[in-house]
Amino acid sequence: MTAAAFRFDGRAIPFRDGDTVATAMYRAGVRVFSRSFKYHRPRGLLCGTGRCANCLVQVGPTPNVRACTMPAEPGLEVRHQNAWPSLAMDLLAVNDSLSFLLPPGFYYKTFIRPRAFWPLYEGVLRRAAGLGRIDVGHRPEERYDKIHRHTDVLVIGGGPAGLAAALTAATVGADVILADEQDALGGHTRWERSGAGGLDDTIAQVTRHPRIECFTGAVAFGAYEGGLVPLRQGTRLIGVRCHELVVATGRHEYPLVFPDNDRPGVMLASAARRLLHQGVRPGERAVVVTTGSEGYALAAELNKAEVRVVAVVDSRPSGEGSAGLAELLGERQVRLFQGCGMVRARGRRQVTGAVVAPLDAGGRVQPAQGLDLPCDLIVLATGGTPEVALLRQSGCVFDLDEGGEPRLLETVPHVHAAGSVLGTAHVADQLLEGEATGIAAARAAGIGTPGLAERELAVRGRLAERRAGPCRSAGRPVAPLTGAAGGGGKAILCTCEDITADDVAYAVAEGFNHAELIKRYLTVSMGPCQGKMCSRVAGELCAAATARSLAAIGTTTARPPVQSVPLGVLAGRRLEPVQRTPMHQRHERAGAAWMDAGAWRRPRAYGDPAAECRAVRERVGIIDVSTLGKLDLQGRDAARLLEKVYTHRFASLPVGRVRYALAADDSGIVLDDGTVARLGPERFFVTTTTSGIGQMESWLRWWTEGTGWCAHLADVTSAYAAINLAGPRARDVLARLAAMDVSAAALPYLAAAEGLIAGIPTRLLRIGFVGELGFELHVPADYGEALWDALLEAGAEFGICPFGVEAQRILRLEKGHLIVGQDTDALSGVLDADMAWACKFDKDDFVGMPALRRVQHHGPRQRLVGFEVPGGRLPNEGDQVVDPGGRPVGRVTSVRRSPTLGRVIGLAWLPVENGLTAEEFAIRSGAGTVAATVVATPFYDPDGSRMRS
Amino acid sequence: MSFLLPCPNCGPRRVEEYSYGGEFQVRPGPEVSAGAWGHYLYGRRNAAGLQTEWWYHRLGCGRWLLAERDTLTNRVQRTYRRPSTGDPPVPLQGMKVLDWQVQP
Repeated sequence: MTAAAFRFDGRAIPFRDGDTVATAMYRAGVRVFSRSFKYHRPRGLLCGTGRCANCLVQVGPTPNVRACTMPAEPGLEVRHQNAWPSLAMDLLAVNDSLSFLLPPGFYYKTFIRPRAFWPLYEGVLRRAAGLGRIDVGHRPEERYDKIHRHTDVLVIGGGPAGLAAALTAATVGADVILADEQDALGGHTRWERSGAGGLDDTIAQVTRHPRIECFTGAVAFGAYEGGLVPLRQGTRLIGVRCHELVVATGRHEYPLVFPDNDRPGVMLASAARRLLHQGVRPGERAVVVTTGSEGYALAAELNKAEVRVVAVVDSRPSGEGSAGLAELLGERQVRLFQGCGMVRARGRRQVTGAVVAPLDAGGRVQPAQGLDLPCDLIVLATGGTPEVALLRQSGCVFDLDEGGEPRLLETVPHVHAAGSVLGTAHVADQLLEGEATGIAAARAAGIGTPGLAERELAVRGRLAERRAGPCRSAGRPVAPLTGAAGGGGKAILCTCEDITADDVAYAVAEGFNHAELIKRYLTVSMGPCQGKMCSRVAGELCAAATARSLAAIGTTTARPPVQSVPLGVLAGRRLEPVQRTPMHQRHERAGAAWMDAGAWRRPRAYGDPAAECRAVRERVGIIDVSTLGKLDLQGRDAARLLEKVYTHRFASLPVGRVRYALAADDSGIVLDDGTVARLGPERFFVTTTTSGIGQMESWLRWWTEGTGWCAHLADVTSAYAAINLAGPRARDVLARLAAMDVSAAALPYLAAAEGLIAGIPTRLLRIGFVGELGFELHVPADYGEALWDALLEAGAEFGICPFGVEAQRILRLEKGHLIVGQDTDALSGVLDADMAWACKFDKDDFVGMPALRRVQHHGPRQRLVGFEVPGGRLPNEGDQVVDPGGRPVGRVTSVRRSPTLGRVIGLAWLPVENGLTAEEFAIRSGAGTVAATVVATPFYDPDGSRMRS
Repeated sequence: MSFLLPCPNCGPRRVEEYSYGGEFQVRPGPEVSAGAWGHYLYGRRNAAGLQTEWWYHRLGCGRWLLAERDTLTNRVQRTYRRPSTGDPPVPLQGMKVLDWQVQP
């Protein structure tokens, strides 16, 4: 049974069923788990519930794991954090003695001169302060998953109120999700001897109910718009969309502040109870500190576990409401200190004693009358605070009563609360309140069973009756004791970041006197616990130091996440979807080198791109252009839509013809380009750029919206494979396969036709992006490979060669054809790009026309020009065009060494001055500059006779 | 930003399914003054409050819709397709929306 073990700093730690890393380490006698953030003080178990940051350890490659909620597993490699050279002998603990040199904000004050030394200081500081070590080479093996749920009612918290709410809502017909951060349902009753077992029946009903889905070990870390509440369950993110949210998150404890209150052995009642539950004795000799009846029950439990309870220190002058227990404890020789509080803890790596003293009327400890009690355990049963973060994030408004307890003032629609989060104390009351809330939530979710309203009213009535009776004793608050007032030592307010009670006085003295200011200056509540352990006491200290009310000090804004969330949980799986064309396998077999084009993977080249270029110019080549965006546009008003959205004229486009299509936005900026082929009077086939399809589809739809036009659009990109067959021998290849006349007379330049090629139904467009006689062949995607193979086979005798994107880019550059998105950006106007030829200003209107008319009138301010580099040096794409003074005035968008022309050619943006662009200009490339000469485009075949042939 | 937007075709969907299309405004005729055209291109009300705006249901029906949304709270009052008149929109069947919101 105890054979299973993990390792802590190399030492084997055996564990039992149900153990966490912390309970197993505690059983093995480990008290110090890690060292603290700033002062390197020894730290151990404090809250035991996963809320504070005291027990952070490194587990394998993962830093900052809370030992108290990490289940013990065989083989874990657990290590301490933030101590050097070792946990026991931490030289950096010198910070603790030098703390007078390290006041709040010291790194902005002390380590700033000389400025040049900051990198050195920073290195030292970063090494000294810290939360674990990240192994940057580590590749996590965890599978992060996301799941989504939609539900009528989401209940957060599986205690009495949450269970009752979930069960009631489900019983009356709502779909319910119940989430609890613990590994089992029951909430606080799991750990209390008195309440244990009482809920078993309810829990069984809840887990069996067909309309309730339970998530245990799931932390609700935020409440977002639209009823979105994400739950983190290990490495999984559960995104829950709920109609109604029931917050039954209960309360959590926080520590009392007194000097050396962070010594290992000082722990909250919640931690002691969890240790007892696992059969671990939290100590040999215990002092229980309490502000109400809670401490007596705990003392009795400790006694039962054979922990010698030395004393119960009760802040109340008499043990109201717990007299019987107090007597019982008296018999067992437990000393009872009533009206007393803690002066300080003794000990360094572990508690060795407690000093207690009477309280004055204001709840302030009188250190002068201190009495030493030797012990190795100080349990703080000093009350808690409601877990209201989710309610506040949802927009509920709270104020603070005199004791600093949040009171719900206003709720918001769809958000409900029940149980001790509202201050409801007894389990029976919590069950009733849960029931009423469950009905309310189901009703708000639209469950209209008759009689529900009456039932809710009746339950609320019973609850009010019970509450009219004896209420729980409120407890007597104890004022925090600062180190200065307590006679030395650090009274730790925030264990996450080592902020002391005296630091608050320091901050107030510097003028930071509001909760939000204290937070920003001291970083209190900004650590891993997110203020759960410190916010209330920080407010009290600030109020005391400024002699103002707690309400005037205020609270900080509640924001997600409530608990720390690993980034991997938010990111989910590392999915990188890749789109492959139908001919992908053929390219792979041909040994293609790949490149990414948006989500597509395309062959960059099959071998030497220059050789591929020559093949196209001299013989014939094919390229897979299936990635082109393709739209099927039909309807009576289809031509009207094209007239409106594209700059060219399409109403007059005859059936069987294709035309270049350029789209601009209303400021005249180039959006996208492609071709439009008219296949019938009301039927068009539109191609777009590879990455422009989504934009153009939504753009065309937007311009139809509200017009009443009959124009229907479908994205058929992946329905068709497309191949561009280009080169002087292209027609010869096609003629061998075509069951139709492909002669220049039957199929002239810019013709569009449909027919059989190699027996495959094919759409042919006679266009020439690469500047040779060319056919763009579109076939149903399933025929892509067959057509590819047929073309290669038929073209073999003509020396056909497949070419990749790189060759295509060179070939189109030789023709001066621009690529939208490479040669243009969000500032590139249509006329600046010299595309006036594609605009029909005699149309009534097109998108961009009014703006372009104005550009026509004033002239463009920049121009896209072709250039050559006479020296033959190859600048880079993206290099700047500079003026004689060296200032950047333009940029190079495309540049290649042309295998056809044997020269370096490119496209660049140049400024227009007095209506002219420079004839020669300089490009800053690397360390030097390159001289370039403006050349008219196209660089190759200027009259276009080759592609028209 | 995780609010729900009711699509007139598909019903309430999370906002991540949509693309934002900006404030609704009427495109002036091509003959207006340069100033009016400039205002149409670049002038925005940028209302702190209720705004009529375009949304495209990218991952749904692929239709544009108009939404009246409070830019301070992300509360969507109603959504509708633009009516086929070319005039400023008149609500057709508005969709009721859950009035979920969070602390700004």
